[in-house]
Amino acid sequence: MEVSVIGNSQATMVRAELGYRELGSFCSPRNNYQNKILFRRNDSVWFASRSARWRKAQLRFTVKAVQSQPIRSDRVSGPTSASRPKSRDGVRLFVGLPLDTVSDCNAVNHARAIAAGLRALKLLGVEGVELPIWWGVAEKEVMGKYEWSGYLAVADVVQKAGLKLHVSLCFHASRQPNIPLPKWVSQIGESEPSIFYTDLTGKHYKDCLSLAADDLPVLNGKTPIQVYHEFCESFRSSFMPFMGSTITGISMGLGPDGELRYPSHHRQVKTSKIPGAGEFQCYDKNMLSLLKQHAESSGNPLWGLGGPHDAPKYDESPSWNSFFKDHGGSWESPYGDFFLSWYSNQLISHANRLLSLGSSTFGDSGIKVYGKVPLMYSWYNTRSHPSELTAGFYNTNNRDGYEAVAEMFLKNSCKMILPGMDLYDEHQPHESLSSPESLLAQIRKACKKQGVEVSGQNSSESGAPGGFEQIKKKLFGADAVDDLFTYQRMGAYFFSPEHFPSFTKLVRNLNQPRLHLDDLPEEEEVTAASVHNNSDTSVHVQAAVY
Amino acid sequence: MSTVTTIEPLLHSYYRRERLRCRPKTKVFLRPNYLNYSLKSVSNAGRFSCNFKKFQRIKASSSSTVDTALVETFESADVFFKETFPLTRTETVEGKIFVRLEKGKDGKKWQLSVGCSLPGKWILHWGVNYTDDNGSEWDQPPKNMRPPGSVAIKDYAIETPLKKSSEEDIFHLVNINFDLKSDIAAINFVLKDEETGAWYQHRGRDFKVPLVDFLQDDGNVIGTKSSFSFWPGALGQLPKMLLRAEASHSKVQDSSSEAREPKHEKKHLEGFYEEQPIAKQVVFPNSLTVSARKCPETAKIIMYLETDLPGDVVAHWGVCRDDAKNWEVPAPPHPPETTVFKSKALRTLLQPKEDGNGRLGLFTLDDEFAGFLFVLKLNENTWFKCKGNDFYIPLSRQLGSDIAPIPGKTEEAKQEVSQTEYTNGIIKEIRNLVSGISSEMSRNTKTKEAQESILQEIEKLAAEAYGIFRSSIPTFSEEAVVESEALKPPVHISSGTGTGFEILCQGFNWESHKSGRWYMELKEKAAELSSLGFSVVWLPPPTESVSPEGYMPKDLYNLNCRYGNIDELKETVKRFHEVGIKVLGDVVLNHRCAHKQNQNGIWNIFGGRLDWDDRAVVADDPHFQGRGNKSSGDNFHAAPNIDHSQDFVRKDIKEWLCWLRKEIGYDGWRLDFVRGFWGGYVKDYLDATEPHFAVGEYWDSLSYTYGEMDHNQDAHRQRIVDWINATNGTAGAFDVTTKGILHAALERCEYWRLSDQKGKPPGVVGWWPSRAVTFIENHDTGSTQGHWRFPGGKEMQGYAYILTHPGTPSVFYDHIFSHSRSEIAALISLRKRHKINCRSIIKITKAERDVYAAIVDEKVAVKIGPGHYVPPSGPQSWSSVLEGKDYKVWESS
Repeated sequence: MEVSVIGNSQATMVRAELGYRELGSFCSPRNNYQNKILFRRNDSVWFASRSARWRKAQLRFTVKAVQSQPIRSDRVSGPTSASRPKSRDGVRLFVGLPLDTVSDCNAVNHARAIAAGLRALKLLGVEGVELPIWWGVAEKEVMGKYEWSGYLAVADVVQKAGLKLHVSLCFHASRQPNIPLPKWVSQIGESEPSIFYTDLTGKHYKDCLSLAADDLPVLNGKTPIQVYHEFCESFRSSFMPFMGSTITGISMGLGPDGELRYPSHHRQVKTSKIPGAGEFQCYDKNMLSLLKQHAESSGNPLWGLGGPHDAPKYDESPSWNSFFKDHGGSWESPYGDFFLSWYSNQLISHANRLLSLGSSTFGDSGIKVYGKVPLMYSWYNTRSHPSELTAGFYNTNNRDGYEAVAEMFLKNSCKMILPGMDLYDEHQPHESLSSPESLLAQIRKACKKQGVEVSGQNSSESGAPGGFEQIKKKLFGADAVDDLFTYQRMGAYFFSPEHFPSFTKLVRNLNQPRLHLDDLPEEEEVTAASVHNNSDTSVHVQAAVY
Repeated sequence: MSTVTTIEPLLHSYYRRERLRCRPKTKVFLRPNYLNYSLKSVSNAGRFSCNFKKFQRIKASSSSTVDTALVETFESADVFFKETFPLTRTETVEGKIFVRLEKGKDGKKWQLSVGCSLPGKWILHWGVNYTDDNGSEWDQPPKNMRPPGSVAIKDYAIETPLKKSSEEDIFHLVNINFDLKSDIAAINFVLKDEETGAWYQHRGRDFKVPLVDFLQDDGNVIGTKSSFSFWPGALGQLPKMLLRAEASHSKVQDSSSEAREPKHEKKHLEGFYEEQPIAKQVVFPNSLTVSARKCPETAKIIMYLETDLPGDVVAHWGVCRDDAKNWEVPAPPHPPETTVFKSKALRTLLQPKEDGNGRLGLFTLDDEFAGFLFVLKLNENTWFKCKGNDFYIPLSRQLGSDIAPIPGKTEEAKQEVSQTEYTNGIIKEIRNLVSGISSEMSRNTKTKEAQESILQEIEKLAAEAYGIFRSSIPTFSEEAVVESEALKPPVHISSGTGTGFEILCQGFNWESHKSGRWYMELKEKAAELSSLGFSVVWLPPPTESVSPEGYMPKDLYNLNCRYGNIDELKETVKRFHEVGIKVLGDVVLNHRCAHKQNQNGIWNIFGGRLDWDDRAVVADDPHFQGRGNKSSGDNFHAAPNIDHSQDFVRKDIKEWLCWLRKEIGYDGWRLDFVRGFWGGYVKDYLDATEPHFAVGEYWDSLSYTYGEMDHNQDAHRQRIVDWINATNGTAGAFDVTTKGILHAALERCEYWRLSDQKGKPPGVVGWWPSRAVTFIENHDTGSTQGHWRFPGGKEMQGYAYILTHPGTPSVFYDHIFSHSRSEIAALISLRKRHKINCRSIIKITKAERDVYAAIVDEKVAVKIGPGHYVPPSGPQSWSSVLEGKDYKVWESS
């Protein structure tokens, strides 16, 4: 009897063995005598020491014979791969590529470093890499003129390295490294700054467009949503050869730093250890007009003239003014409820627009669409959760603000990316009353309830103290994330002697549970090798059972 | 991901600086017999001045900034390379310092004014002598004398910033008012430039303004007929300045010399005004933008260089065909104003830009070339390179892989292909090995090896990636850096690390020479040191020396010294070997005292077996009139500095070191004052002598702002790491950075300093642990010299830190034989028990105001500081094993 298993392309070594294990149990009842499993890798066959010498020739012959046949059959693979239990498979690990992987003249930066890095990651057993694709690079000069060559080159390298690719579409600008919005957008912004988020004092946040402009024809007669849509379409058609094979996931940029939020904290003084409450960003012309309409239609026209007058400034502690006061703060008043509901609903609608755009564009190519929700954990231990409120999440002691978000993700069958999985409460400054762990737990509970799968990310590039331990917890056990984990981010620090060994250890831990194969029936004689077909990225696992 | 490293060590040596500051408290000047150079130079020599390279220190590095101005000329679609490189240009600017003493308007108060006309953050570092104090130590001036903004430095000095009275004013000025009723005998000061860390002195000593007449003139009194000279810190140009200062002293106005009648009366104080020329190097940030585009019509490559450097800029350039970067001259036509330089390169004068700001150059190249190589030349002495290498601009946009979405493969691309094939080959083999892992189920013994080799390959790739990411050129060019070695598992013995598990004992202090039989005394303690757990002992310098401590060597082959004779030394080394301890010889290679004078009466002719003449002495120290080349490092002024660039010198030194290895049995070296010469020579010596372990003393100043140590000491540790790099990792270096930061953290209760911005240890040990030799005290810093003593009573916190952390710890003799002995012994035994080594993994778990804590190798947890800490409970449980004043250690059980 001969059985071929096709791992759903790109199976790692480990998965190959998994396939074997299932096959083993699947076959053994029918075969009382010895089972032999043979993994083939290229042309060379590797035999385990216990295989009887005389049998080697026979085995090798068998392998060669099999090799000459096309083995892309689906005979057995369907049920096998489908029945792969999630818990055994574990979380897929991705590593972010440098933010400036593709420079703004479409050259690939650090190409050789990335090539070496990809090989190292592949050998470590990392599943894939995340690639930020910038609006300001790909559509830099003129609206509708796309330049994908740099990104295509990267995708090709990733494919050749046998890794998966998760693409993040970035409709925002980056400060460090400096990647601005497309030039033509910035030019429009100069004459029409109301396309940007604006705070109470009239200062603009120019690193992404205000959600209030989403459906207004502010970009040379097109709406931002239309422009994003065309960008996505162009991306899809240019990357068609990679879609669903190498590219397995796409994150839609939802706001500042790609996250679903208002830029409520962007004027934070970096040196202050305790983040302030942040400020509401509802003062651009279009936001104000939306607010006015809403207030009038709900019968309180006076509430539509602006945001809360008694909110503190960016850096100020929430208790500096009366809006966020724990007891008797305006947030608990009917006005507060009116404003916060509107402010947060605007954000959810914005995400809905983008995620449905993403799902409709990419959904049919077998690609999962993701959105990133920020972890606004400062002040979580107050009643009013000021940081979350100003960022657009109406989540307080009295109200769960994330269920609606999760529901919207479900509606668009999108997965949610949550950062900050490496953070500990105990490492937060006590005065900030923050709790990344509780907030994370709350959001994940909301997702679980709605059935939205969660992907993890760590918080920063430099690594939080004890971060690896915390990540490990998030990867195993009851607390494990459902989908993939993206580790941020490749660069000099990532590969430095002070960091890389710890990362290696994390990944090896990750693989460890899957390497315990001792639970196989002892009496079975097993020969193992594994298969890698170089001409194609997929790995075929082949089992021959006698 | 670009790193910008520009400024080389500009800071003055801490070593020197501490001595300057504390000088009156040290005995340094009282040791007369090593001033074996001519009397003429005594006045402006002293051991405390430095001389530095005259090169312009220019480094460039790239960053990914984009010059938008270029976009118009270069249509983005065709541009495949664009980089802006910062160019740091230093220029000497000249100015003057003035000192004025005058009577106030009311006739009672006096005012001392010190001003400086150069831009900078000038600080007056000053103190006074009181009339009833006969010593030469500084004291703090009375409170009413201190101008606003003064900061007290310890208990003997004041730092007062110089200010401009208005924006237009060219002078930075400070006024000190005092009245003569106070019993102040003299005001002493030096001038410091905070921006560069340079100290400006008077004749190699402090400025001294006497307020009473009976003060003895130590040669540094101003307001008298005397010459001035200024000793900048690590600034270059010293020789020139020196000459200038010497030449100008005739111009010095002198109004008070007549007033210096030998009368013991204050009343005779008279005002004076003096000016001194000074020079300082100012750093100008310039940049260079390079872009390359392919001309679609002609298929040629057009390189475009644009810079804002002033003056005539010449591009010295060529092309290359492959990664080897061999320069080649392309066929004509060449750009206008181009000359061929020795048929190896072309020199093209860059044209002034139309707007007059800077220069630009256009170069048209055939696309057959792989790269464009160049350096910029501003004048004969000023060259701009890219991080010490030629600028290299790859003429292709290919990735490091065999795919080519862009048409037109170049040579480079082809090479990449073969490289990829090569690596693919490796990967293929590794995959075969990977399958070894999968056969774990069949208990294959090969599994471990296979895993090991995969991990090694991963480490190799990671090191390669790290090297490229770290170097800033964002395209393929530079080689992986030495860190790859640090990644290797600690199995292999290298002279930079020893076994990796070494624990050092410094086997002497500043007084050890006094008994005359130190070797024998130490020999008695060998067994004891071995039982304490030390694996290496560092013996004092063994050669005949002008100073009794041994750091002023004379005849290198004469090993009879104040510590004992050669036979006693051999016996001691033998004894240490018997108890299993390796022995380091303290070798002074930077300088050597002469035997004879030359025809000018300068002591620079050597005798003994190595009878070198003045060609063995560096040329850039005017005191010693050497005829060798310029020094490859900093100069040590009390003795002739050896010119290691001379082949005969290096040959002799290697021979000597090999002789020491063989004759005495030394296992390795402690290298004195390695700032004085290039680390590459050290590598040469170590390669020749193959020591078990070697460590260099690279001691210079940390960075301070207004007397307060900066949190970020990356520049300081970078200099040490640079030196280790120059030795190719063949030597470790004392981790002066860690000592300095421990000082600040413990002294001021600022334990947050013990974590850098990336959450790693802030010293060398955070960057290159395997080469960091951590210590808290040595014969210079502590002992009876006390140049930079570890905060008193907190030594055990220091040891709790270095003996639990990665790096190779070194314990000072005085501490071993003190009441701390049992505590130190317990820490060493813990280190050995848990196999903590120089590459152990450290995780900082807390770094707050009053407590620092870390977990090492997940086996040992340590906290120092008065604050509360318990290790996190998790998979491990911790039990406390050691506890002392403000420190505690746990081990995982």
